[in-house]
Amino acid sequence: MISVIGFYQTKFGELWEKSLFDLVKETISSILKENQLSIEEIDAIFFGNMLSGVLENNLHSAAKIAEIIKKNIPIFRIESACASGGVAFYLAKQYLEANSNKTVLVIGAEKMTDFSPEEITQALAGAASGDEQEVGLTFPGAYALMSNFYLKEYGYSEENLAYVAVKNHFHGSLNKKAHFQKKITLNDVLKSTYVAYPIKVLDSSPISDGAAGLILTNDRDLIKKAKNQVKVLASEMATDSISLMERERIDEIKTTKIAAKKAFSSAKVDQKDIQVAEIHDCFTIAEILAMEDLGFWRKGEGGKRVKDQETMLGNGGKLIINSSGGLKAAGHPVGATGVKQIGEIYLQLTNQADNRQVKNAHYGLTHNVGGSGGTAVVTILAS
Amino acid sequence: MVSPVKIWRRQKKIRQILEKKGKIVSWTKIFITGSDFKKNAPYYLVLVELEDKKKIIAQLVEYEDNKDLFGKKVKVILRRIREISEEDIIPYGIKVKLIE
Repeated sequence: MISVIGFYQTKFGELWEKSLFDLVKETISSILKENQLSIEEIDAIFFGNMLSGVLENNLHSAAKIAEIIKKNIPIFRIESACASGGVAFYLAKQYLEANSNKTVLVIGAEKMTDFSPEEITQALAGAASGDEQEVGLTFPGAYALMSNFYLKEYGYSEENLAYVAVKNHFHGSLNKKAHFQKKITLNDVLKSTYVAYPIKVLDSSPISDGAAGLILTNDRDLIKKAKNQVKVLASEMATDSISLMERERIDEIKTTKIAAKKAFSSAKVDQKDIQVAEIHDCFTIAEILAMEDLGFWRKGEGGKRVKDQETMLGNGGKLIINSSGGLKAAGHPVGATGVKQIGEIYLQLTNQADNRQVKNAHYGLTHNVGGSGGTAVVTILAS
Repeated sequence: MVSPVKIWRRQKKIRQILEKKGKIVSWTKIFITGSDFKKNAPYYLVLVELEDKKKIIAQLVEYEDNKDLFGKKVKVILRRIREISEEDIIPYGIKVKLIE
């Protein structure tokens, strides 16, 4: 059995005093120290990062991490747009399935706040198709086309989207590592300025700096010794055309559906078993579509269900979504996000989530998406 | 700057869809954009299903704001796209406009 035995996250936010590799260093040294491990016990590192090559002319990060740890082990840098962290975890699991008695680190990190909104928008658009970049389609723009279609098709309004932001900011207010720890109202969301109609600033996840790390192992002795551990029941991934023009439908993310189906099947659990999940809410519409595509809600009913706020802590629901605050409030340092999501579920399943603890959580799920649905990773964990 | 060879490659594709007609499946108005399109913002982008069922995304031009764009018929036209510096080759691409 492959288990997660440790998690560390830096604060997410505007961390001007720290570079990308300062964040990586903090994550590696803290996770090892907190779990009383030495770097000698780590066999490989999987590093999720999207933008350092484009924004900072900063490549060959494997060797830069080797310089930090002063070791000569295999280190892999994984880029799958916003799913870089989730794919790094997926590959780490594959590595452990092929190698017995090994322990690896999965690190995700991103440095984004040194740059102007135009530079970040342009860099993120690098994950869009060439044809879409050529007509000026931005990353929020792609989700805006999906949002507008969804609202029209199922008869909802911008208010339905806004409920996602209100819930996730409430959860963020309970998370000391979150980028935003302030509650917001429906009116705050509806009055915020447009980024790409109907998506507004408060429908969007922020541009954040941050890093997160996990220790993943199949070493039985280490698992036995670990103070807190969760089992990885499944981690599945799917890819699809990045261009919306090539998709059959724009009110669903096909990669999410494929990865979810495979993950539920290999984990041998179903949607009703899950008590807590971290869902990729880069924009409010993304959480609604994901809840439908993951099979928690029927297609088209997401707009209504989100308004009922049944997935918000304290409302008595059986499934809590984005207890960390999600990408929306906890922040979205792109490469770190997929790793942080699994970390949040690790905290929940080991009763370490403090004032945002979901009671009696035994099964958790994470859902990490790259570039408006070109890649999706779904991971299922159990206590 | 977009390299001349990229512009040349793309322009071969443009000819195949010029003048084609279709209808708007979804639309958005972009307010925040990358540096190449900053001077155009805000601008409308529409997802169009052409008569041959192929889908395209393009900027909608010559349009007066009335926010009722679903199902509207459009035609593919040739227009100058993105910001360039004085020495660059002028890149042309597709945009769409409403037809009666």
